[in-house]
Amino acid sequence: MSEIDSEVLESQTKSSAFRRRILGHQGVMIGAAIVLAAVLIALSAPFIAPHDPYYQDLLNRLVPPVWDSRGSWEHILGTDHLGRDYLSRLIYGARISLLIGVGAALISGLIGTVLGVAAGYFGGRVDMVVTFMITVRLSMPVVLVALAVVAIVGGSLQVVIMVLGFLLWDRFAVVMRSSTLQIRSMDYVAAAQAVGCSTTRILTTEIMPNVVNNLIVIATLEIAHAIILEAALSFLGLGVQPPLPSWGLMVSEGKDMMLFEPWLITIPGVALFLLVLAINLLGDGARDITAPENRN
Amino acid sequence: MIVKKYFSTFLAGTLLATGFVSVAQAGKSDDTLNVAIDRELESIDNYYNTAREGIVISRMVWDGLLYRDPKTNEYLPNLATSFKWVDSKTIEFDLRKGVKFHNGEKFDADDVVFTLNYLADPANGAKPARNVNWWKNAEKLGEYKVQLNLKKEFPAALEFLSGPIVMYPNDYYSKAGPEGMALKPVGTGPYQVTSVEPGKRYKFKKYDGYHAGSPKGSASIGNIVFRTIAESNTQLAELFSGGIDWIWKVKPDQAKRIAAQGAFTTKNSSTMRIGYLNFDAMGRHSKNPMNDVRVRRAIAHAIDREGIVKALVQGESMVVNSLCFPSQFGCAQDIKSYDYNPEKAKKLLAEAGYPNGFETPFLAYRNRDFAEAMINNLNAVGITTKFEYLKYAAFRDKVQDGGAPFNFGTWGSYSINDVSAITSHFQSGGKDDYSKDPEVIKQLGIGDTSVDPAVRKAAYKAALSRISEEVFMFPLWSYNTWYAFSKDVDFNPTPDEIPRFFTAKWL
Repeated sequence: MSEIDSEVLESQTKSSAFRRRILGHQGVMIGAAIVLAAVLIALSAPFIAPHDPYYQDLLNRLVPPVWDSRGSWEHILGTDHLGRDYLSRLIYGARISLLIGVGAALISGLIGTVLGVAAGYFGGRVDMVVTFMITVRLSMPVVLVALAVVAIVGGSLQVVIMVLGFLLWDRFAVVMRSSTLQIRSMDYVAAAQAVGCSTTRILTTEIMPNVVNNLIVIATLEIAHAIILEAALSFLGLGVQPPLPSWGLMVSEGKDMMLFEPWLITIPGVALFLLVLAINLLGDGARDITAPENRN
Repeated sequence: MIVKKYFSTFLAGTLLATGFVSVAQAGKSDDTLNVAIDRELESIDNYYNTAREGIVISRMVWDGLLYRDPKTNEYLPNLATSFKWVDSKTIEFDLRKGVKFHNGEKFDADDVVFTLNYLADPANGAKPARNVNWWKNAEKLGEYKVQLNLKKEFPAALEFLSGPIVMYPNDYYSKAGPEGMALKPVGTGPYQVTSVEPGKRYKFKKYDGYHAGSPKGSASIGNIVFRTIAESNTQLAELFSGGIDWIWKVKPDQAKRIAAQGAFTTKNSSTMRIGYLNFDAMGRHSKNPMNDVRVRRAIAHAIDREGIVKALVQGESMVVNSLCFPSQFGCAQDIKSYDYNPEKAKKLLAEAGYPNGFETPFLAYRNRDFAEAMINNLNAVGITTKFEYLKYAAFRDKVQDGGAPFNFGTWGSYSINDVSAITSHFQSGGKDDYSKDPEVIKQLGIGDTSVDPAVRKAAYKAALSRISEEVFMFPLWSYNTWYAFSKDVDFNPTPDEIPRFFTAKWL
């Protein structure tokens, strides 16, 4: 067998082993299935939602779900306090949750990665400044700061994404910094420096590919974190503004009838629970699969 | 045995927690009415608290010179046996003899003069200031005779003297001050305070020495306990488990379900609070569509007030067409009203140059569901909104600073049964006024200062008609309060939203 053949074979075995690890990891499979379903539902919301999520029918308020004796197939999950179809709002709510989760993680990921990689690669003063910024950020209670900012600026989808994005970058920065520190002392980085590669080139071709695994794991955790925070803010009336169908807002609006119509808070609550659980499973699984030393 | 004992305790606990068993922890059996309130009161000194529950406590513990009968709205003598207007700025009172404060102190002219002069001094900071800033001083004319000198003509004087202005014991208050009064209140009212745990629990006991001539009548229920339970679902759970006998401000949908269960009495009463839309008619915020009367009329036609009242506001609420509550003095009813007519609204918008509608900021601070229903109505005629739901303090500041071209607010008139407490507040050129119409301001000025009822009525009608014609503000509906309480209690709510526990009885 020639050298090239064995290389191809090795890479094939590597990728098939990787695939086997994914397929064999129950958490990843369950998480991926739920997240995929949520993404599909969110993307195809206009086609699959049975009603307009904003359409109010004040004469048909608080219709219970179909499994209740008073329910009907017209509104499978019932209607809310303004007579809007609960299933349709739940489906459109997936869009808001995912949008906020991904949006906030993108912003915070960008900030955190730039700071973390810069601190890890350059060290010295840059590291000192970034570490100080991380400490400052960690000393601020996220929910409290988010509440204060939203209360002053006013809540809206964009504001919530921005606020969460600017508040959740610390974990990215911490992890990126320590991984970059590790990679930076590797021989191949020294070799690249020796042949005169530019800093940008070293960062993009030598450092980043080797830290991106960690980035993905943190990103999934932060998406879940942002989704929960958005729900909390909306529950408190300071998140996205009505009539947008946010799951947190749905729980908040159903709260008054909690004792009499518990499904009003259970349904969006379960949706929130499942989505966050799935994203976390996916994140944990990604860590297990990509980092062999942590595999268990 | 032990297992059995634990099991039965567990079972009892579970049943209690799930509300299946109504345990007589209190209530009729020990002559104690347990009342839940949803907020922590800062102080229960009548003049240093503005909470609604503070007003409720004030009516229980103290008396005024007069008392307004909540049914007939007639001013009846209470601590004063009679009064007469000496001239348009002077009132003379004959005081009741033989009345004693809860601590045994005798009630006489010194108490009245002390209380009224204490309140009139701005340095003492009694609040709300509008309750106490309209008289100059009080003079003692005899042991049971006093004279009140007003700063200027003030037609609502009797309304205030029969409600928020209550009499304090001069000896006790000059020693104890507001702090002492807040912890150990002393009055002449039908209930005396036996214990105060600030922000948590207030206990009251029937005052056996209550003066017989009072129009309030003697209390029937022996003990009343006010307990702060902030969360409405917790209040309900306590009601179901028997820990609480009486709750109020129950949400309409909750009240409907409680009534359907049949285990508790639910009652509804209309209140003086009304909802309104306020428009930037004069362009105080900016040049915007609300400056055009056709747009304002279009919005008036676009909102389905009847539908929203029926489905969401519910209870005894009704659509109001004048910018006041119908029972208030001067609240003329025969003025222009706007029916729900989306087609007409669209036509008016097209005439105003907005055939495809426009986008406008829309502010609100309470009843998000009502606001959402109105947003839906507005969308239907092409108006889209940038909805901002704020906390009350933020909402008020933004509105008063001129930052709101279009908002949904409500006003309770401090339960003052007079148009001056609402229309004059909003439309007399003050911070909340977004039209500052000279004609309206002039007419309200006449109404606010004349003591001739006919002149006042005519002036208020002129003002209200112009407000309605120009839609400077658009009145929506009156509010209502739901009460839910144990079937053992006989309680009747009043439209001024002040539960009078001294009229409640056990059944």
